Amino acid sequence: MENYKDKLFKILPEVEKPARYSGGEWNTPDMSKPRKGDMCFCFPELYEIGMSNLGMQILYDVINSDKDFVAERCFAPAADFANKLKENDIPLLSLETKKPLKDFTVLGFSIGFELLYTNVLYMLDLAGIPFYASERGEEYPIMLAGGPCSVNPEPFADFFDVIVCGEGEEADLEILRIVSDGRAKGLSKAEILARVKQVEGAYVPSLHKDGEKVKKAVLQDFENAPYPTKPLVPNIETVHDRATLELYRGCASGCRFCQAGFWYRPIRERSADRCAELGKSIVESAGFGEMSLCSLSTGDYTELEKLENILIPYCEDKRVNLALPSLRISSFKSDMARQSRKSSLTFAPEAGTQRLRNVINKNVTEEEIDNMAEAFEVGYDSIKLYFMMGLPTETDEDIAGIAEMCKRLKGLYYLKRHKRGLNISVSCAVFIPKPCTPFQWEAQISFDEMLRRQSYLRGLLREIKGVSFSWHGAETSVLEAALARGDRKLCKVIERAYRLGAKFDAWTEQFKWDVWTQAFADCGLTVNEYIRERDKDEVLPWDFIDTGVSKSYLLKERELGYMGKTTKNCREGCNGCGALKMGRCTIC
Amino acid sequence: MLVLKYSKLSDACFISHIDLLRHVSRILRRADIPVKYSQGFNPHALVFFSPPLAVGVSSEAEYLAIDSDMQGCELLARYNGAVSHTLKASNVFECAKNPNLQGVIVAADYVFDTPYADIDLTKGFEIEYEKKGKTVREDVSNKIFGAFNVDGKLMLRLAAGNTSLRPDRILNELNLRLGVSLAAADVCKIAQYVQLGDRLVDVDEFLSVGERK
Repeated sequence: MENYKDKLFKILPEVEKPARYSGGEWNTPDMSKPRKGDMCFCFPELYEIGMSNLGMQILYDVINSDKDFVAERCFAPAADFANKLKENDIPLLSLETKKPLKDFTVLGFSIGFELLYTNVLYMLDLAGIPFYASERGEEYPIMLAGGPCSVNPEPFADFFDVIVCGEGEEADLEILRIVSDGRAKGLSKAEILARVKQVEGAYVPSLHKDGEKVKKAVLQDFENAPYPTKPLVPNIETVHDRATLELYRGCASGCRFCQAGFWYRPIRERSADRCAELGKSIVESAGFGEMSLCSLSTGDYTELEKLENILIPYCEDKRVNLALPSLRISSFKSDMARQSRKSSLTFAPEAGTQRLRNVINKNVTEEEIDNMAEAFEVGYDSIKLYFMMGLPTETDEDIAGIAEMCKRLKGLYYLKRHKRGLNISVSCAVFIPKPCTPFQWEAQISFDEMLRRQSYLRGLLREIKGVSFSWHGAETSVLEAALARGDRKLCKVIERAYRLGAKFDAWTEQFKWDVWTQAFADCGLTVNEYIRERDKDEVLPWDFIDTGVSKSYLLKERELGYMGKTTKNCREGCNGCGALKMGRCTIC
Repeated sequence: MLVLKYSKLSDACFISHIDLLRHVSRILRRADIPVKYSQGFNPHALVFFSPPLAVGVSSEAEYLAIDSDMQGCELLARYNGAVSHTLKASNVFECAKNPNLQGVIVAADYVFDTPYADIDLTKGFEIEYEKKGKTVREDVSNKIFGAFNVDGKLMLRLAAGNTSLRPDRILNELNLRLGVSLAAADVCKIAQYVQLGDRLVDVDEFLSVGERK
């Protein structure tokens, strides 16, 4: 095998942030143990983003903890490094042992966002691997995909041999074992894939029959599930550069736009004692100066108080800053905020009026917004508010409600602190109808309408002092919506877009809208076909995935939404979504 | 005040100075080394570095001053238990106060991975490099203090500290004069110096003397 390390080290000083590509992080597992097979986790984004992904750290740890198997990593390189690789005839390499991607047993792509699809092709291109599964012979690794986008794998299904739908803790290692075993026995790719297909959650597009269902993989014993207590410590600053503690999976809130809230059902909580134990081991093995609690709605974690009582004194002693993000307004407790440094509060009311919040089932009431006064009392003077625009049934009145809320918060602040100077930053995304939600049939508002509503809101907010406004690009939102609910035909569009120069689409400065419209046109399609409203009787591309939550439940939720009726939080009683058949809901 | 002498080799040479600062606070935490903190509004650990090393260049002679009441040998052992082989420390010095290495170091020795050649590099040595998007031409001969033969390899003593000459910046000119193709990864710093009177003193010696005082 060619030694690429020396070649690589020669070119690294000439690229930006070379530590992205050098490897050698603290806590890197033993790479020298004998391997029956290996998997390279490929993350189609830059190192800084990819290293912040908890899912990948978990799966990496699961495989490396096995005595027979090894996992390595590879991230999408920035353009300067990619050019250097090409100039010097170096294929894309893994970080740990600098092994070419095409020499691995399995390549596992983690796909967490629709706008990363072109980067998958970008990485394959640099690795010298054909894009389509049908074009890859026996000599290539088995290509696996997983991650949140497996909710609807159709737009990228042609590129992969296997797609793990759901959670990969058990499936990934099992698949790696089957593939390694099959290779050792000299089985063909087709024979191996037939075996892989038996794994729960595994979708094998080439062997999939019409009408067949794929059951989402769900981790049953979350309490004792493997968790990386020796996480890799990145060499450069990453976007989430800290110890991350996952408290639970799933969410009890049932917000009707939220894909994660429905996809990660049933709810599985980990005990406070176990969480605290994990958190301490992470700080001790990695030395992070910051710890954050992670889940879809941290403030709703049953044992939050107990956990805080253990972690707050521990973190003070170790000089670790304990961050408590992603709080819902209703779960805000001022005593909680008192403990950490007063930087800024982040809340996500999502919609400006109570009416619309009822439609989307975001159970944040006006009274709860008034509770923010408590936060001002303890010293906060900066707030970030997250909203969405273009939600089903939204009118200009709802948008004006966002400005009203800002005014009201300013008023509350003045009452408590007797001074002006509250900083509010309003961030407004565009609603994207996503598969596996009650709003999966909804149309996305048109491009022009997005621009009109954005400028309307900008106008209203400009009149309020101390409010800053940021919004998501209309073009990227349209593309995200099209790809999220896309079908198999989009594989060609993605390939075409990549050939025309699209990559790193999630980066505003690199996003090329004209390239995408061209790609759709070249394939005889339009974006509008994909953002239109879907008929409720229509067969949807992702219907073959059994997520546990029944289609009839989603439809019922949609109807309730139209009527402005809320559905109670799962903690107040089971709503019967159907996810229970996938495993025990620990809050039931 | 304890001063560690550590190396920065192999992949660690790509860690920038600013990332190294964050790294060190993590190393100290996982090594469970008690460090004193400043008393200000935003307390920060009292650790001090020798002058930054250019990214891509490795080193066997970096220094890190730590304000801690721990015994030197204990600190050395704990530090080494919490870093990978690329950042190991080889020695520890005890000083009465912060030696301010960033301020007092004036020169450093770099070994280049190329055979020693008997050419004069100290006269009329002009280099060109990019700085803030502009191309700068500079005669740096006054920042090259000497060329030496170390085990058959070329070693240069370059200005370091407040008026420094980065070894990676002279590579182009060096390659041209010697007819070689050196990259930053082929350079390793092996010693740093402070000026005492008219004499350059190795930092190791300087710190040992400091201890005797």
